[in-house]
Amino acid sequence: MQAKTATAGLPMNVGNPLAMSFSSTQNRIAIIAGLTVLALGGNLLGLILGAPEGLLPLPALPLSIPIILASYWYPRRGLLFSAFLAVAYAVTVFLLSPPDTQFALTILPRAVFLILVGGVVALLSTRLRESEQQMNEIIEFLPDATFAIDREGKIIAWNHAIEEMTGVKKDAMLNRGDHEYAIPFYGERRALLADLILQGGPDAGNPSIRREGSTLVSEASAPCLRNGRGAHIRFAATALLDRSGRVTGAIESIRDISDEVMMEAALQNAGRQLNTLSGILRTDLSNRLAVLYGHLSLGVMKFDDPEILSFIDDLNDAANGIRRQIEISREFRDIGTSPPAWIGVQQTVRNAASALAFGNVSLEAWTERLEVFADPHLGTVFTHLFENSLAPATGATRIVVTYHLRPEGCAIIVEDDGAGIPDTEKEGLFVQKPEGYGHGLFLTHEILAITGIAIHETGTFGTGARFEILVPSEGYRIV
Amino acid sequence: MMPAVFSVTETGAAKIRPEVRELRSAEFPAADEVWREYHGMAADPARDRTFAVFLDGRIVSLARCRRHPDGSMEVDGVFTPEACRGRGYAHMAMAALVVACHNDDLYMYAVESLTGFYAEFRFISIPERDLPPGIRERYTWAAGNMEGAEVRPMRRRAGL
Repeated sequence: MQAKTATAGLPMNVGNPLAMSFSSTQNRIAIIAGLTVLALGGNLLGLILGAPEGLLPLPALPLSIPIILASYWYPRRGLLFSAFLAVAYAVTVFLLSPPDTQFALTILPRAVFLILVGGVVALLSTRLRESEQQMNEIIEFLPDATFAIDREGKIIAWNHAIEEMTGVKKDAMLNRGDHEYAIPFYGERRALLADLILQGGPDAGNPSIRREGSTLVSEASAPCLRNGRGAHIRFAATALLDRSGRVTGAIESIRDISDEVMMEAALQNAGRQLNTLSGILRTDLSNRLAVLYGHLSLGVMKFDDPEILSFIDDLNDAANGIRRQIEISREFRDIGTSPPAWIGVQQTVRNAASALAFGNVSLEAWTERLEVFADPHLGTVFTHLFENSLAPATGATRIVVTYHLRPEGCAIIVEDDGAGIPDTEKEGLFVQKPEGYGHGLFLTHEILAITGIAIHETGTFGTGARFEILVPSEGYRIV
Repeated sequence: MMPAVFSVTETGAAKIRPEVRELRSAEFPAADEVWREYHGMAADPARDRTFAVFLDGRIVSLARCRRHPDGSMEVDGVFTPEACRGRGYAHMAMAALVVACHNDDLYMYAVESLTGFYAEFRFISIPERDLPPGIRERYTWAAGNMEGAEVRPMRRRAGL
């Protein structure tokens, strides 16, 4: 039972060289007893042999050493032990010293001092253990598989999640060294990230390990997990430091990312196939569209009849619409392929507007200082919103872009003074559909969703459309 | 600098035309310089949006909208230097401000003689007690005697 207590206490002793040196209970008791005998015996000897008068009463300070050790190692009995030594000191000194009232009175505060030392150390030690116990419980119930090693590479923590992942119980691992923790993953002893932490970090040229702040992160395949079928694992390790910042160990967490990796690979495959297919369709459509444009140009040259020319104009408009849809499909292929970035809204609005014909419709944008964290295709969002406002059927004469700071974030508001959107159409506005109002808004919704930005239509039918792009608090800044 | 009102309907004009836009943080000191004549006012990029009319690169009129800690928005600092007055620049700065900030109710202490000017932007006179507390604090010294202070509390409801 005692041995088990000592082992369970090991994680708490990380960073405490004193405790590490005297880990066995027998040794501790022997040390306390030895020091007690030395201190009390020295006092006795001094009194019997007759200490010089200036030294009387003999100092209590040497006795505080066994008291401090006993109270630190055994806090629950620390106060009792210190009281016992204080009484022993007071009685022996009182009985063996020359009778003197003033002298006898000085013994009492010294005995009280010894009791106080024992009490304070026991209290602090209890608090320390409680705090260590809490830390242990936190590690134990971390959702990620986690283990920790001390400076010598011995395992000092092996939590429940890692037991589940590896099938190896804590009792079989605690206090083991020599890279024992690698065996459940690789079937052999080898260094993991935690070892690199103890060695001061990875080689600069190791591309498979990256540093995120003070944490080392790496992904690898662990052949022994999942009953020997193997798994993709993400390791993350960081140093355990003492109060002075010295490395006293390392803690490493392990996450099985096999499902994510497989999903990602499957999605990439599907994406490649879809891109290939849509690329073929786009090329085919573009070729046929070129033929159509050729016929329309010939028609303009061949016919003089205004009715036929007007008809050809309509056909030309329809062909332009098809060309635009091809461009949308090309944009859709690219979204999400570049990482999001901080983007100036005013410049993005300006760029989007420059590619469209506004006719007599005015555009006012008041977003000069606003930047948002978004997919680089943010401009496409504004293009589609403006296209909707510019559709002749809306009758809009003015488009205004502003922003509004709200407790939940920042709303970028794009509104016009056109006909607006009927309530019945609002719900399906951002849903993919082949025809009708809102074409392209599905793409808008998808681009914004990449960085957690939402979009809603909040206008009133009859007074104009109003799109609110809600950027979360962490996704905007005023520069 | 990019104009806030894009000239999508404009054709090229030989004459220098005023440009209206919101100032960036780095341009705030230039506005403070203009406001030096106006009670030594200064803008704070963390709280304020400042709208300026530029003529040939020079600020000829300013208007400021300040967000108070309680979220209320106060318009002030509408100022045109003496030499540039009478050409509608203040009107342009205010028009920009009310469009850019139209998503919030706007409040102000208008100088008595300018209440008609602000009424053009749909500001209406209100009792002082209807001002948000954060804005009302500024005129606590007047102890409710707005006429004595020659100012009038006004509000513009949110909307274009």
